[in-house]
Amino acid sequence: MTLAAGGSTFSASGPPCYSALVNDWICPAYVSDRRTEIADALLEHVLITLAAVALGFVLALPLALVARRYTAVESAIVAATTIIYTVPSLALFALLVNITALSPWTVIIGLALYTLTILVRNMLAGLRDVPADVKESAVGLGYGPGRLLLRVELPLALPVIMAGLRVATVSTVALTTVGTLVAYGGLGDLLSNGIRTDFKAQILTASVLCVALAVVFDALLMGTQRVLTPWTRGRK
Amino acid sequence: MNVRRTFVAALATGVLLATAACGGDPLEESDSSSSGEKGSVTIGGQNFTESQIMAAIYQELLESDGYDVTQKLVDTRDIYFPQLQKGNVQVVPDYLAGIGDYLNTEANGPDAKPITSNSAEESLTAVQPLAEEVGVTLLTPAEATDQNGFFVTQDYASENELTTLSDLGALGEPITLAAAKDCPDREDCALGLESVYGISIEEVLPLGFGLAPTFQAVTDGEAELGQTGTTDGTLDAKGLVLLEDDKGIQPAQNLTPAVNSDWLGDHPDVEETLDELSGALTTEDLAALNLKVDQDREKPEDVAAAFLEEQGLI
Amino acid sequence: MGEAFAYLLDGDSWSGSNGLGQQLVQQVLLTVVSLAVATVLSLPVALWLGHIGKGGAIAINISNIGRAIPVFAVLVLLSVGPVGTDVLGPFGRAGAATLISLVLFALPPIITNAYVGVRGVDPEIVEAARGMGMAERRIFTRVEWPLALPLVLTGLRLALVQVWATATIAALVAGPGLGNTITNGFANSRIDQVTAGAILVAVVALLLEGAAFAAERLVDPMRASRRANRHSQRTPSVPTVEPIV
Repeated sequence: MTLAAGGSTFSASGPPCYSALVNDWICPAYVSDRRTEIADALLEHVLITLAAVALGFVLALPLALVARRYTAVESAIVAATTIIYTVPSLALFALLVNITALSPWTVIIGLALYTLTILVRNMLAGLRDVPADVKESAVGLGYGPGRLLLRVELPLALPVIMAGLRVATVSTVALTTVGTLVAYGGLGDLLSNGIRTDFKAQILTASVLCVALAVVFDALLMGTQRVLTPWTRGRK
Repeated sequence: MNVRRTFVAALATGVLLATAACGGDPLEESDSSSSGEKGSVTIGGQNFTESQIMAAIYQELLESDGYDVTQKLVDTRDIYFPQLQKGNVQVVPDYLAGIGDYLNTEANGPDAKPITSNSAEESLTAVQPLAEEVGVTLLTPAEATDQNGFFVTQDYASENELTTLSDLGALGEPITLAAAKDCPDREDCALGLESVYGISIEEVLPLGFGLAPTFQAVTDGEAELGQTGTTDGTLDAKGLVLLEDDKGIQPAQNLTPAVNSDWLGDHPDVEETLDELSGALTTEDLAALNLKVDQDREKPEDVAAAFLEEQGLI
Repeated sequence: MGEAFAYLLDGDSWSGSNGLGQQLVQQVLLTVVSLAVATVLSLPVALWLGHIGKGGAIAINISNIGRAIPVFAVLVLLSVGPVGTDVLGPFGRAGAATLISLVLFALPPIITNAYVGVRGVDPEIVEAARGMGMAERRIFTRVEWPLALPLVLTGLRLALVQVWATATIAALVAGPGLGNTITNGFANSRIDQVTAGAILVAVVALLLEGAAFAAERLVDPMRASRRANRHSQRTPSVPTVEPIV
């Protein structure tokens, strides 16, 4: 194959498998040649996901506590988080850019808002499931409301809260890709660059990494839950 | 060197800060380990190949001058230019008439008479005052230019004996155009093709400027006409051919550094660095650099570094 | 917001080959068809697995992994890969790739809820039916199915709303649907257009949710008895809300 004289720099072995002229789906040379770029995208993906879930958690806890305390606002809080949920991420990111400029916070804040509905509901459900007699005993032992929450209610609600956290985290991993609209999509940036340039190896690699990342997060959270709530082991 | 490094470092700090305490804007507090003694600078721009290469060239040059550089490349000028005015982005490798049309529309409305022409000098004189009004300074344009080019398949061209856009207008067929999202409202795109060449554009498919889906749409016959840059070296291999802009609707799209004026006032040395680049960069250089990235899939930063070394600019 | 409503009320925004009208029709078609296909493909299998009481791990894992696969990635893989981006009739450009992605996305809530619904039926009731000499088929149709129906319907409702909102992603591969209004508005700095798209998608999502909820109550045969005895209703063990893109 003759190539344009103006500067192709192939070695004697011909073009690499990721060259536009070859364009293989599976291409180990792509992974090794672009490893820093892939690692950076992966790291960005991880950090955006963690920041979004952490922010979502920090926002959801007080909302859940308020909703539990004042039943009048409970349905309003749950309804509001559900409505946020129906706004497509594409639009949410586009709208947030006006407030946050082009920064990773656009994606982090948007994704954090999406986690609220799952986290708030599960926190409420978890806290509600704490048996009344357990709470009464704790109060009888002289626990104040703060200590009751931290030492009795939250630990007992933990399995349900962690289940919500797992769902929120795994879906946030998937949703982070859409952040590519504002140039902060982690692996999503590799995907959208891939479709712009018909770059098959890059598309497949980014997709696989994205799913792997979600599975790893899910397993880590499941492990954490087992460590934190040893009493749930062996139940069922 | 790496595009994402500073962001990743900053975000890591941010996550720590956000979990430890809620305070400030952690992105401002990144302590990058790279050479940043002159402060940090964000390069904006569009994210097609040529823009990526130019951003990488700017990044390489500014880093060798001691700046700490981040890139933010997005889809269209409408997204990054307001950030350049506000100073969130400080430097953009841009196109002369592209900026000119944008600023003209912003200042004088969508129906304003174009202020750019196919002369780079005249265009710069016309555009600079508008740019300065919004806090942006244009540095010296390069000789290199990349205008909008419109292509058809080689088969379509030979069947209908087309070599110019006028030929296509004379053909009188309804045309579907695969182009950038901002094409429908632009004089150098759908509007000019219709009014100057009499091409009846039935639909604009918003598939992007010279991107894979754009080429695909034309190759598959979904669109007859597609948009790319005149420095695109990949057309021939794809069985596509450019139609000549024989009536010259494409204004001077010389590569021109656009810099936030306030920031330039604080960092005057940047002007010399970028002017030196503009003096060296030719259209042929651009086409060769594009081909390396589009076809061989070399990384824009590697291509940029090799070019600058070859030119003795770093 | 005012400008967004002005955009929504402007007839010109709705007309034309890529206007809101056509995008809305495309997205409704995509949502309905992909939900129907996903239901036909998965519901019988999930119900059967629930009936024979096997494959629980599979059902739950499909749900977990399904959630982890970004629709965007599937869409990109399909449209660059074997399926391509050809116009598919009224579904528009990249219609086939979008449909397949949405079908895959709809599967997890349908499968999980149907399986859990049937599995969750009190074994004593099933045993009693068996003791009365009911055939397996009748046990399923007369006992398990009516008792599982509320959860099955919840699964379908979740899938419906999720698929609707997620369909906007197709715009990232220049595919069909209302996402185009959002991405084009974003690219051209037309905040009114972005907001209008967001409002339209969210409002239709809420309408769909409401309609599905009403249908659920209408169809549910156990509604009356449960209302009489609402505290005995067991809480579903699957999350009642699923992520939406």
